Amino acid sequence: MQARKILSLVFTAALLLAAGSAFAQVKITVYGDEGQNLTPVEWLKPLAAQKGITLETVGVPFTSVYEKLKTEFVGGTGAYDVVIFYPAYLGEFAEFEYIQPLDGLFSVHDPKMNDVVPAYRDLYDMYNGKTYALPYDGDILNLYFQKHIFEDAGEKAAFKAKFGQELSVPKTWDDLLKVAQFFTRKKGEKLAGKTLDEDFYGFAFLGARGFAYAWWGNIFGSLGGAYFDKNMKPMINSPAGIQALNIEKKLKEFCPPDVMSYGYTELMNAYLQGRVATMIQWSDVWKKANDPKLSKIVHDAGISQMPGVKQADGKIYYRAAAPVGRVIAIPTTTKHPKEAFWVASMLSLDLAMKSVASNETGEDPYRISQFDSPQTFEKFGSNAEAKNYLAVVKDNLNHIFPDVNIPGSAEYLDALDVAVTSGLSGGAEPAAALNTAAATWDKITQNLDPARQKKIYNAMLESWKKHGFWKD
Amino acid sequence: MAGTQRAMTIEQSQKRFARLIALPGMVVLVLLVVGPLLYMFVNSFFLKTLATPRPPRFAWFQNYGALFSDQRFWNAFLKTMVIMVIGIPVQSVLALVIALLLNKKFPGSRIIVALFLIPVMITPVVAGFEWKIILDNRFGPLNYLLGFFGIHPQAWLAEPALAMASILIMDTWQWTPFVTLVLLAGLAAIPKQVYEAASVDGSSERETLWRVTMPLLRPVFTLVILLRIIFIFKIFDPVQILTGGGPGIATETLSLLTYIIGFKNFNVGMSATIAVVQLIVITIIAKVFISLVMNRREGRQS
Repeated sequence: MQARKILSLVFTAALLLAAGSAFAQVKITVYGDEGQNLTPVEWLKPLAAQKGITLETVGVPFTSVYEKLKTEFVGGTGAYDVVIFYPAYLGEFAEFEYIQPLDGLFSVHDPKMNDVVPAYRDLYDMYNGKTYALPYDGDILNLYFQKHIFEDAGEKAAFKAKFGQELSVPKTWDDLLKVAQFFTRKKGEKLAGKTLDEDFYGFAFLGARGFAYAWWGNIFGSLGGAYFDKNMKPMINSPAGIQALNIEKKLKEFCPPDVMSYGYTELMNAYLQGRVATMIQWSDVWKKANDPKLSKIVHDAGISQMPGVKQADGKIYYRAAAPVGRVIAIPTTTKHPKEAFWVASMLSLDLAMKSVASNETGEDPYRISQFDSPQTFEKFGSNAEAKNYLAVVKDNLNHIFPDVNIPGSAEYLDALDVAVTSGLSGGAEPAAALNTAAATWDKITQNLDPARQKKIYNAMLESWKKHGFWKD
Repeated sequence: MAGTQRAMTIEQSQKRFARLIALPGMVVLVLLVVGPLLYMFVNSFFLKTLATPRPPRFAWFQNYGALFSDQRFWNAFLKTMVIMVIGIPVQSVLALVIALLLNKKFPGSRIIVALFLIPVMITPVVAGFEWKIILDNRFGPLNYLLGFFGIHPQAWLAEPALAMASILIMDTWQWTPFVTLVLLAGLAAIPKQVYEAASVDGSSERETLWRVTMPLLRPVFTLVILLRIIFIFKIFDPVQILTGGGPGIATETLSLLTYIIGFKNFNVGMSATIAVVQLIVITIIAKVFISLVMNRREGRQS
């Protein structure tokens, strides 16, 4: 009897051990841009080890994600099991079967895709009706401002005297131009009652080559712009495109003189050091702005919906560009799709809340459950501030102006980026710069296979239509 | 007769042995240089991109036509030429002055030469990051120093003209020591007797410089300028790190454009075409430059 009891105990223990180690001992290699954005993978390592998975990371520079990954894919090396990349490349990777559809793997660990903001999910994780990626980072651009200067009675009165309207957080590009002009001051002048010890600027944007196109995209999208028409004729040099670049060029007059060399860090620091009144940046900056170790504007960081364009009915139409916006996918070459999917799903779901509510990462919210949990973000501000932050980010995500994500997107976006930065820096007139880019886009399409490009782009437009971003 | 035949046999076997010894080197050369070069030439006649798995299509000179009608290519060509036309004369004059000074042995001259070589030894990527800090609009020491002269902080990397000037400044900082070093070696190789003879003939210091030192230094000068032309065609790291080719395409050089087209856009055919054009241009410049220098030399000798 006693022997049977012992045997039974041993069996139960063996079962428990087996349950704890769900997968055979495998090594899963995760690819992504190095630094803070691979931190969640480090968090996952102990948990993965319990499951029998050894996690390894391969990090590459922020701006080299596509080229390194594409090289591996073309070579068919199978070096990576989980890849974190930017959704601009999703169409290309999915169309040419470098990555696999994930719907069949949901049973391994349900990533709860219904919990993801629908527009963001459909435009950045889906391709041809299938899920090819899980969200990892809800990157979206938002308008930031310094709250106290908008609340100052003296500034309010001065603004009203100058423009004949109340000073408020800009909701349109016209208002942003006024606000940017109003707050641009020289050293020695006063701002909200204090004498400035250095020059102060009304606005700042990302001007360095790489992702500068997206700041133009905010304006272009709000003017009703789209990348191509249904026949793949480039629309970036349409009147909307040219107007958008002219607006941004006008805004540049109220930016710091070195704004054309601003990347993510430089732009963030200009705001965190309190040197600009407003700027447009990714969502994680609000968290960093409220960290006393990094910021001089703690609890003064305001965040708002992307400015837009007033329509005939008085409503404001606005779109927020979403450059970067990391997603996780599983290459077709992996020998361990289930284990790889478990890792992807854990990163996208289980560790997501910790990830988006931490300053150790650069990840931003993208799940409805995250937007419903302001208490998780209270370490960065009051409950009301956290609620406002989450509401703004969710709203901008619902008004996403996505990157073009068809094959060749890297080449299309490079040509657009060159046009935008050339137009802004004075290297070319905005119209001429965009005309050149449009001609280049035509050449790219011809070179890649016009019929297939058209088919894929039109499939992308269907998703735009579904969310009301495109009308035939 | 038998002796002649024997001598020929020995000569033939020596030649055969020499070929055998050279064979591994030739194989390596063909595999690593000639092969890829031919592959590059062939690719330049194809429409070939890795962005889509579409089969390459033979297109005769279509890539060349597209390249020569591309404003971005001509801009990159012009920017490379600007660095060459301004950078090389400035660096050469500076290097010559420094080399002449350092050639006069004085206490500590060896230490100065060693310190002077530091920029050449620093990896271009590291040098790029160092200069990015130096040129920073707000915190950079350069703007701080300019402040003492009442000059307002300059946006070195954000304004097109200043960004180009920044590339030139960094290139001059990094490569002037190299030119100096080569010229120093050239100066050291000039026999002392020549100077003694000039002195006996009553030549002044300036006359000695122009009539003795400079003519004897010409072969070394030719070599170092030729090397600098090739290096400038390959300039990549400082541009990539300091400006990334921007603002816009204000500092985009040919090598950076080739990299973007080949390794970011994966347009294999077009990047091969640019590489071929660069190779032809470098070869023509080198040939013209060498023949000009040689003709002048031969003219003087005759």
